[in-house]
Amino acid sequence: MTYDIYHQSSFYYQQMVTFSHNLARLKPRDTPFQKLESWALEVAPTAVMTEYFEDYFGNRIAHLLVREAHTHLEVTARSKVAVDTVALEAHYAAARANVLSVAEALLLFRSADTSIIEVKQYLFSSAMIPGVSDAIRLFALESFTNQRPLFEAASELMERIFEEFVFESGFSDISTPVEEVFEARKGVCQDFAHLSIAALRSLGFAARYVSGYIETLPPDGEKKLFGADASHAWFSVFIPGSGWVDFDPTNNLLPSSRHIVLGWGRDYADVAPLQGVVRSSGASSVGVKVDVRALE
Amino acid sequence: MASLFEGYEALSRYDEMFDTAHAVRPHWQGVHRALDTLGSDALRARQSDIDWRLEENGVTYNVYNDPEGLNRPWRLDPVPLIIDALEWQEIEAGLKQRALLLDLLFKDLYGAQRVLKEGIVPPEVIFGHSGFIRSAFGLFDQAEAALRIYAADMARGPDGKMWVINDRTQAPSGLGYAIENRLAMNGAMAELLGEVNIHRISGFLNAFEKMLSDLSPRRSDNPLHVLLSPGPYNETYFEHAYLSSFLGLTLVQGQDLLGKDGRIYLRSLGGLRRVDTMLRRVDDSFCDPLELRGDSRLGVAGLVQAVRERTIAMANPLGSGLLENAGLNPFMSGVAKFFLGEELRLPQIATWWCGQRKERDFVLENLSNLIIKRIDRGEAQHTFIGAHLNKEELSRLRAMILEYPYRYTGQEQVTFSTTPTLVDGQIVPRKAIIRSFGVRSEEGYTIMPGGLVRVGMANDSLLVSGQSGGGSKDLWIAGVPSVAPDHYLSPMASSVESLEHIPSLRAENLFWLGRYLTRSIITARMIRTSLKLSANLYRSEQRFSESAQSAINRALTHLTMTYPGFLDAQIQRQSLGEIRSVATDAKRLGSLAHTLKMLSNANAGVKNLLTLEGWRIFDRLERDYALMGRAKNSSSRSLANALEQLVTQLMAYRQLIEESLFEGLVLYRIGERIERGLLVVSKVRALLCSNFEAQVQNEVLENMLLSCESLNAYRAHYKTVLRLENVIELMLLDIRFPKSLIFELSELQTLLQKLPKSRGALYLSRYEEPIFSAFSRLRLYRGIKSTEPVKIGGVRQELDTLLGEIGTLLAKCSNELGKTYFSHYDE
Repeated sequence: MTYDIYHQSSFYYQQMVTFSHNLARLKPRDTPFQKLESWALEVAPTAVMTEYFEDYFGNRIAHLLVREAHTHLEVTARSKVAVDTVALEAHYAAARANVLSVAEALLLFRSADTSIIEVKQYLFSSAMIPGVSDAIRLFALESFTNQRPLFEAASELMERIFEEFVFESGFSDISTPVEEVFEARKGVCQDFAHLSIAALRSLGFAARYVSGYIETLPPDGEKKLFGADASHAWFSVFIPGSGWVDFDPTNNLLPSSRHIVLGWGRDYADVAPLQGVVRSSGASSVGVKVDVRALE
Repeated sequence: MASLFEGYEALSRYDEMFDTAHAVRPHWQGVHRALDTLGSDALRARQSDIDWRLEENGVTYNVYNDPEGLNRPWRLDPVPLIIDALEWQEIEAGLKQRALLLDLLFKDLYGAQRVLKEGIVPPEVIFGHSGFIRSAFGLFDQAEAALRIYAADMARGPDGKMWVINDRTQAPSGLGYAIENRLAMNGAMAELLGEVNIHRISGFLNAFEKMLSDLSPRRSDNPLHVLLSPGPYNETYFEHAYLSSFLGLTLVQGQDLLGKDGRIYLRSLGGLRRVDTMLRRVDDSFCDPLELRGDSRLGVAGLVQAVRERTIAMANPLGSGLLENAGLNPFMSGVAKFFLGEELRLPQIATWWCGQRKERDFVLENLSNLIIKRIDRGEAQHTFIGAHLNKEELSRLRAMILEYPYRYTGQEQVTFSTTPTLVDGQIVPRKAIIRSFGVRSEEGYTIMPGGLVRVGMANDSLLVSGQSGGGSKDLWIAGVPSVAPDHYLSPMASSVESLEHIPSLRAENLFWLGRYLTRSIITARMIRTSLKLSANLYRSEQRFSESAQSAINRALTHLTMTYPGFLDAQIQRQSLGEIRSVATDAKRLGSLAHTLKMLSNANAGVKNLLTLEGWRIFDRLERDYALMGRAKNSSSRSLANALEQLVTQLMAYRQLIEESLFEGLVLYRIGERIERGLLVVSKVRALLCSNFEAQVQNEVLENMLLSCESLNAYRAHYKTVLRLENVIELMLLDIRFPKSLIFELSELQTLLQKLPKSRGALYLSRYEEPIFSAFSRLRLYRGIKSTEPVKIGGVRQELDTLLGEIGTLLAKCSNELGKTYFSHYDE
């Protein structure tokens, strides 16, 4: 399946900004299951300098320097991504068949096995998930009994978050700690991804944050509105023998056909789509417009 | 007479001066004899001499939340710590090896990560450390060396060997203090130096300079080296200023720099200058708010990019905080074998990393005998001395270790050697820690033959740190062939500042120093005038009329812009309370206390340009006035006295500023003139543009002149009673009178011409235009005629409008100056 993705991120400033540095993480990465076929970036007002580089996690970053006076910055990326659904299904099938137990996986993570060094950095606390409360750990433990296959346990964690938590926008923002989300039992996709990662790490598993898109379908008989989609986020857990396996707790789905990966990191802070530094005392706000369309 | 050393008993198994038979070790004998000859009284005198020298040079150490005030004098003991040159050779080789190893390790961890892949270092020690800066990954692939400066803390263990306690790789402090200590010792303790030949440190400083110039990515004749400092509130700011002038670095803060097109520029008065190399005293994650911590105000956006593109070189590279890592200790010997095929030359403190099962259990079993350290120095407490913890604290610590074992290490608690130290005229044993420094130039690492020695405050003090008090010593490496002392150590010439090279932030601070100081003085005088009127503190026969009082009070509100203030009739009736608030409420915008706070910020920003005396005066006036503000029930008279005293102190402070500023003085003066102009406009609009009855008019004029300290000038000049048209002439139009507005504007024009972009320019700059225009309009104004019809309560529209315009033009000049010289975005 091939998708056309339109993603516009904006900053609105209260005061005129004459000089700003920005990092845009809007270029989908290639993975074993998807390939970026074309991509274009548009910046308004025009950036006088654009630097492209790959970060530590392999995400593709555009560093933009804007020097025109503005109160509104608009960064728009148009991507065409081909997703290999067949390979993804096979990956999930293999993961489902992997009977490696929770206890066996933990033993491996605690060992000095050098084959999983790259993975190990996702075991530790990170900027937005600094530590985990006992309550979250206990919540996670219910699903992760020793003899159970790790895949099954992670699936159940995803399902429980989907069942027990309410999707509600406006309750939380990027800086809301997972503990608060856990207590209130509500949040948005980022919160659910962070909560799952916190839970997994508290038990000693390597978990990462995936940012991306999901194609939404309009109700029957209605035409899909442009820009009605949103950027999306889910979590990924490393299952020895199967590699990284993604889970979408917001939709209780294994992201196999309608999900497109943008990038990943330890948490949202590593993959924020647009971040900027301006020298201005005024406040700023952000806007986002996303459209995902499947091409026939 | 009893020997100075009588009763001296070493408290540890090893004393630096005495061996176990209480005989003086050979390399100490000359100094021991000289100290004994000097005796207690002379040594005390030397201590005072040293204190005086250090104070004279402004050597201070800032201590956060210190009730004594921000700056604590630096303490140097007259007795040095001496190490024999033969032993030093061993130590030096060991430090070189360690620096080299850490450099290799650093490049590997931020590149190929072979030590992780081959199991030499566990990944938890790296990934679990907050100093692993992912944005720094891959930056050093082609670098021959990355770690250009290195520092180590060492102390002598019970086995008599020097052990490494800590590695300092990120932004080690202490070098400036070590240099200053040496200079002070050269001056004050010359006879000790006569007894022993010691290594000079000037060679090391040359190596330091060479390191910086080798590093510069541009082979230009005049590379720009900067020292990035967090600013004057940092605990070692003295040292930043000191080192920058000693090593020929330009001292900057993040706001002085601008990242643009993959390069870093210094904003200076003359424009943007490209930065070639950087020595930073800002921690890794704070260096770039774009790619590192977004909330940092200490760094510059675009720095990581500039490093990536190799347009700037950093002496202490981004990410080097990772090596300040207690978790690495147990693996260093493996690292030495891996990279060099060698054993570690210098012993380290025995360390157990809790990320390993067996080691963790050992640490937990021996918790109360060990020192527990977090692998990184995070924001939370990172060192715990087991022996000092009670049961509850121990069990809390145990739980913390069990939760994240990889974050903790246990270290053996060691009794370090003691060394003779002068305390209250007595020589007593104190534990000492040495900080040594190394720099890497093309020839490899050079180790400073000396260093900073810190001694514990109390004899059982285990921890030795600047923050917790205690003193310092000079380190002497003794027993080398005869050498001259470091008399010629002196700051490099290139630190002499020209106006063009003044960093913009400092320029801005100088400008605001002028503005806020002027505003403080004028506001204080105006408040005093209001207060004396309202509280009837004048010793005169008649009480001033209420109308005059309220006119003056309203002028105070206009002057300070503390609206609604006295424009509100309700407040007018509680005038004393309002006056007190305008004087002392620091939270109120425009109040005198608030203005002083702003002045204090500007003062801090130019700290290194002022003399110590200037600092003291400012500290005192700030403290005195804050005390006044806190006394709730003080009388009007005591407030009036406090204002009187404040004005006197501010005048003294101003005098010192004018004496100690050189190139920057013009900026200060411009600020001063603009502010004075603005305040004269505001006062004259409030007091001279309205028509009053004759009696009230007279009182208003008198107080107006009093508050401007111009009543005597008026009397001397006019020799008549007060007349409105004369006062207007004097205060606005008389170009011979130095307090008149036209004089201010004329001076301002001259000052503005001295700025880099105006010098020799054919056309007026954008900041000169408004002043030229204001000057011309005022010059063309003919004053008011005494025959002009007077309508009581009416406003002199023409004058009021003119002054309004002049005020706007002055503000415009200030704005344009900022755009041209302080922000530089459009260059």
